[in-house]
Formats: sequence, structure tokens, C-alpha cells
Amino acid sequence: MLNNTWNSIVDWFRDRSERNRLLRSFNESARSSFVSGVAPTLLKATISKGEQSYRHQFSDWLNTGFRIQAFTGRVLSKDELIHIGKVILNDSILVRRLIVLGWDTLEIHGDAGSFGCRWQLKDYIPLPNF
Amino acid sequence: MIDTLIQDSLTIANKALSHHQHSVKSIDIWMWIAFVEFGILIFLLGKGGFKSKETARQKFKKESLKQEIDFSNIINSSFNSIQLYDELKVKCHPDKFSTDKEKYDIAEALFQEITKNKTNIKRLCELKIEATQKLNINF
Repeated sequence: MLNNTWNSIVDWFRDRSERNRLLRSFNESARSSFVSGVAPTLLKATISKGEQSYRHQFSDWLNTGFRIQAFTGRVLSKDELIHIGKVILNDSILVRRLIVLGWDTLEIHGDAGSFGCRWQLKDYIPLPNF
Repeated sequence: MIDTLIQDSLTIANKALSHHQHSVKSIDIWMWIAFVEFGILIFLLGKGGFKSKETARQKFKKESLKQEIDFSNIINSSFNSIQLYDELKVKCHPDKFSTDKEKYDIAEALFQEITKNKTNIKRLCELKIEATQKLNINF
């Protein structure tokens, strides 16, 4: 029992570190793609509150949203938002990693306007029952 | 007579005291045995009851964290995959090769793969090369 508690504490800290590493890698790649001209828009990944109803067995207690903000300087169309979302959701390795690290909501929105899209991550990968 | 009575009562009292002390010591031993048994039970419960659940969950987690993510491909795909997909789906459509059975089959398989990977620019680039080689398409 003590062993399990200790493992849970160690896991929690390891997850924090993995979450930050994933965000940092995403943001670094987005920045270098924007600087080299591959991507016309700068993307930035942050942690958001998330949607309570999208929870799954790996969900964190707080801040379960993976938010991607596109710095376009204009209001993004719904198709553009959906396309960025679909690219992320079609990458099964990334979705699996996001789920395992405690995220349950994917949010995409621009830097202008109040419109955005969000998806339930558990819909895109079969999760085993523990 | 009185002296002997007093002495007898003293020896009885001593005997009674020593017996009581002995029983207290034996209770102590049983109490410790009970503690050890309780500890063993908790250890076994912890090992058998919770660990199996944790290991299945941790195994899944470990496997997921092992795989590498290609972030540059994801970001590149977010902005450039639509154009390449549109180009490929027009040029590799099986209906364009309806006269040649062999090419039609290749185009059909390629088209399915293109549709499946329409948001993965890396794979679309590979399919473009494949289409150029197998179907002689000029992009």
C-alpha cells in the first residue's frame, strides 16, 4: 500500500514533467516552422481548463484541456479550425500521449474572435478498461 | 502458628503475583504475533489486490510514452496538406486509368491510401513519389 502511494507520487511528478516537455516540444517545432516559412501561422500550445464532461480514466483533476492558439491576426474560419484539429486527432500517437498525460479536451482557436472548436479526445482512441 | 500462616499467605501471594506477571508476558507475545500477522496480511493485500491493476495501467502508459511524435510533420500538415491532397486526389483518381486494368488497380490502392492519410503530409509526399514511379504522372 505504501509502495503504491509512493509510486503514485512519483508518477504524478513524472507526468508533470512529461506534460511540460510535450508542450515545449510542440511550441519549439511550431516556432521553427513559422521562422523557416513552412507554416504561415504561428501555433502555440497551452494548458486550459478543459471540459468536465469529457473526462476519462486518465484525466487529471484540474486543467485537462490542450489548447492550440493560432496567431493569424484574423478570425479563423470553421474549416481552418477543423482542419488543424483533424491533423492532430488523426495522429494516433499524439492523441494517445495526450490522453495518458491527463488531457481529455482538445481546443483550437485563433487570436481574434471568440469562436473556437473543441473535441473529446477519448473518441479518437480505444481506451482499455482498468 | 500465626507466623506459619503469615508465611504461607506470603508465599501464596508471591506465587499469585509471579503467575500474573507470566500471563502478562504471554499476552505481550501474542499481541506482537497478532501485529506481525496483520502486517503480513496488509502486505499481501497490497501486493495482490492493487499492484495488478496498477501494472496494467502503468504498462499502457509506458507504451504510450515510448513512441516518438513528429511535431514538425503535424505543424507542416496543418497548413500544407490540403493543397497536396487536392492535387493527388485529382491526378491519381482511378477513373483516369479505366482503360488500363493494371494501372487502375494501382491507382485504386493509391487513392485509398491518399484518402486515409489526407492530413499527413509526410505520407502524402511518399505517395506522390510512388504515383510518379508507378503511374507515370507528372506533377
